[in-house]
Formats: sequence, structure tokens, C-alpha cells
Amino acid sequence: MKRIYLFCNAGMSTSLVAKKMQEVADSYKLPIEVKAFPDHKLDITVEEFHPDIILLGPQVKFKLEETRVKYKSKGIPVEVIDLEDYGNVDGERILKRAIKILKEKEAK
Amino acid sequence: MFDKLEKILGPVAVKLSSNKVLTAIRDGFLVATPLIIVASIFLVVANFPIPGYSEFLARIFGENWEGYLDSVVNSTFGVVALLGVIGIGYYYGKARGIEGIAGAAVSLVAFLILSPQSHPFFVNQDGKSFRGFAFSNLGSAGLFLAMITALISVSIFVKIKDRGWTIKLPEGVPPAVINSFAALIPSMFVMLTFFVVRLVFNFTEYKYAHDFIYKVLQTPLMGFGQSLIFEPIYQFLSTLFWFFGINGPAVTNTIFGPIHLALTTENLTAFNAGQPLPNIFTGPFGDFFGNFGGGGSTLSLVLLMLFAGKSQRMKKLGKLSIVPGIFGINEMVIFGLPVVLNPIIVIPFLLVPLVNIILSTIATVIGIIPYTTGASLPWTTPLFFSGWLSTGSIIAGFFQIGLVALGCLIYYPFFKVLDNQYLKDETKPIEEKDDLNDISLEDISFD
Repeated sequence: MKRIYLFCNAGMSTSLVAKKMQEVADSYKLPIEVKAFPDHKLDITVEEFHPDIILLGPQVKFKLEETRVKYKSKGIPVEVIDLEDYGNVDGERILKRAIKILKEKEAK
Repeated sequence: MFDKLEKILGPVAVKLSSNKVLTAIRDGFLVATPLIIVASIFLVVANFPIPGYSEFLARIFGENWEGYLDSVVNSTFGVVALLGVIGIGYYYGKARGIEGIAGAAVSLVAFLILSPQSHPFFVNQDGKSFRGFAFSNLGSAGLFLAMITALISVSIFVKIKDRGWTIKLPEGVPPAVINSFAALIPSMFVMLTFFVVRLVFNFTEYKYAHDFIYKVLQTPLMGFGQSLIFEPIYQFLSTLFWFFGINGPAVTNTIFGPIHLALTTENLTAFNAGQPLPNIFTGPFGDFFGNFGGGGSTLSLVLLMLFAGKSQRMKKLGKLSIVPGIFGINEMVIFGLPVVLNPIIVIPFLLVPLVNIILSTIATVIGIIPYTTGASLPWTTPLFFSGWLSTGSIIAGFFQIGLVALGCLIYYPFFKVLDNQYLKDETKPIEEKDDLNDISLEDISFD
């Protein structure tokens, strides 16, 4: 089971995106769990569940550097979701990008 | 010009939101938010804004039925400074690398050490003065002292701990025992410091740190909160950040949040006591009268997309955004339209929240809508209900609908320009922008 965790300010709009992504993943029977959280719970959530990838909503992209530095040593990739895909709640494209990153990580 | 602004605002957002002190204050107060919302439900139940409601319940439950509900309100709003000191102590402790609960605990004790514990004005039959902690110091009036106390006590704790000043125990003592002694000396320094601070204040004219901070810091800051420019500045800055794709309130609340909270609880205390409400610009006022459907008051824009959109893009986005929009979520519009760095839509996007706030302020001052009672609702509460329940007047709900209609008028010409532009674009062939479409989800497996 791969965990793709999304974070934005209150975990509101990311929860819509996460739901769409989970639907797409489920329809292909992929072993993937997509969940959304508020960003002030980022550390606690990562500690507890060890996600395989962290995706930030574009509205909190200013947290990217800080988060990357923090989780680089743990080998968790941190990315910001593409503006347009996020706005269109394009679960499929966001999921594909996350899978692509996970695959690249595995290949290393 | 946008480039220049982005160069300024981007780093400001990073600075404010990565500042350990400010984020600890913001996240610490967030601990109180769900509790305050639940307590507000009790308050709304106790004072449901329908004529005859109170008399009706009094006939069933007896004259003092609201009193039972007050016990819940007092246990949250009445001790909001305690919730603040624990929350901030926890998050600031974590940020400084100690256990969160340790930070929360020393902060709480430090705050209580500073608080008045005997009340000479209240004596019992034997003439002994009443001893205990009073709501008046643990509620909104103690908020700013709570912030400062939590920050200072955690700082002292961390400094002493980092110096390695702990009790050295001989070899062979189990590590669990050593750990239990580890917090002893740092805690002692925190408590001693605040004991001394208490004594020092006792010799000044203020007598207590509470009174000093309240008069020197909180009153002036809340004066700013009561000034007519406070809320427009807050709304404008929040929207401006959103325009650059940054969650506006997440940044601005690091500074404006504590003042909003203090103003809100002050109103609530007055409301509960049946006194006139002192403040216009409470948290609920900012949440429910500036923006409808999220930052930039985009609900008006979404309605236009749904009912006046000609291009497929506008129609699709309108359908996608309307339900989240009703609950105040609008990232779909901000990133999907997009609003971000869009020179056409920026004008109404910045203007509509300001118009909303200014009109609502005027309406409040001249008495069309009542002051907000301080009862907090989730910021996702849909309009009409949010206005009605936060003021106790159904007229405020209708006023909100009027503002949304006005917002549609302001957005319309700008919306039309974009819509026509998209209509033109849609006749052009679409180009692929990356290789994501090549990925097939059919046969993915992970090691």
C-alpha cells in the first residue's frame, strides 16, 4: 500500500482533490491510499503514518522548501500540485504525477 | 508590477509562516477553535434568534434553563486564555525541539503563577477572602499575557535544557528514572522566574502581570482592532496573498488572528452578561461579511459562471465550484480560472471583499444589522445561516444575499471579458503539455 498524503491550510480543498484521486486509484484497483490533512498537522501525520509522498496544495507552496529540507533525510518526496490540475480537481493527472515520482524513487 | 509585488509578498509569506513564534501562536489558538465552535452552538441554542423561543423553553425547563448551558460556555470562552497558553506552549515547545506536552505544562503553570489567586473583595462568613482562579483573568482579558507567558516559559525551559543543567545520577540508574528527572531543573527555572515576576509586579502599581499586559499591550492592540481601518486592511491583505496563489488568511492570521480572537471573546462575554456589545470587527464578522464563497468573495463569480458563462471552460468550472463555494472553499476558482496573477480578474477580486466589509460596517454602525454576538461558527457555514446565527438577526442573512448580488454586478464586466477570451480559445486545437497522458494506470505495481 502506497500512501499519498495531501496537505493544505485546513485540509478542505485538498480533501476534494484527494477524494477524486482515490476514486481514480480505486477504479484501477491500485494499492494506493490518498488522504488530505491540514498543514499544521503535517509533522504529526508524517510521524505516525509515514506517507510515501507528500503533496502540497498550491496555496501553501511557500512551505515547500521548509518541508523538503525536513523530510529529505527520510526519503519522502515533497511536491507542489500543479495549479491547473488542482483548479480542475483533475484527480487522474495528479495521481499519475505522484505515481511517476514514486516510480522514479523506486528506480533509484 | 505583479512581478515586483510577488517578489515582496512571496518572501513575506515564507517569513511569517515559517516564523516559529508566529506559527506557534496561530496553531496554538487553533486548538481552541473547535471547542469555541461547539460552545457557540450551546450559546446559539440558549439564545436562538426567534421571538418567543426563550419563553417557550422556560415553560418546559424552568426560568433558569439558560444557566445550564452557560456552564459549557464558561468552560471554553471563559478560560480561552488557558486554552491559548496550553496550545501555544505545546506548538512552540515542539518547534523548539522539546516534547509538546512538556511545553504546554510549564506554560500553563507559569501562567497560573502570574494569575491572581485571592480576591479580597469577596469574603466568606469568617471574613476570609475568596481564593481561586477567576474567569476574568482566564478569559479574553488574559489572551495576550497567555501568548507571552507560553513563549517565555518554553524559551527558558529550552535554554536551560540545552545547557545540560540536569541532575546527574550515578551509573546503573534506569534511563526511565533519569528521564523523569530531566525536566526537573528546567521546570524549576521557569517556575522560579515567574514567581519572581509575580513578586515584582506586586510592588508596582499594576499589582498583577495581567493588568499590566492588558493595559500596556492588549488595550492598544484591540484599539487598533476597533479602528475602522483594521478589517479593511486585513481583508485587503488576505485577498492580495490569494491573488498570488498563497493562502491569504494563513499568512495574515499570524498577526490579525489574536486580535480577532480577543475582540470576539470580548463580545461574547458581554453578550452572555447581557451588556452592550463592544466590537464590530470580530472573527465571525470577518469570516462571514467580507468573503462569500472564499477569498475574493468568489461565490458571485461562480454564480456568473453557472448562469452567464458561454465558454465550456466557464460552465465546467462553475459546476465544479458551486458546491464547495457554498461552503466557502474556492481553490478551484483561484487555480482553475485562474485568478492567480490574472490581470483582468484582480480588480473585482480585490474590490468585492472591500466593498462587502465597508458596507457591512456601515450597516452595523447605523443599526441595519446587529453586532456579531461573538458566537463562532465554522468558517464553512453557508451564507444566510452564517449571518443569521452570528448576529442573531435574520436580516443579516438577507443582507449577505444582497452583498452577493452586488458582487455579481461588480464581477460581471470582468467576467465577460474572460468568458469571451475563453470562447475564442476553445475553437483552437488543444496541445499536449506533458507526458502524463502517456502513463497508463492499467498495470501499475509497487515493489
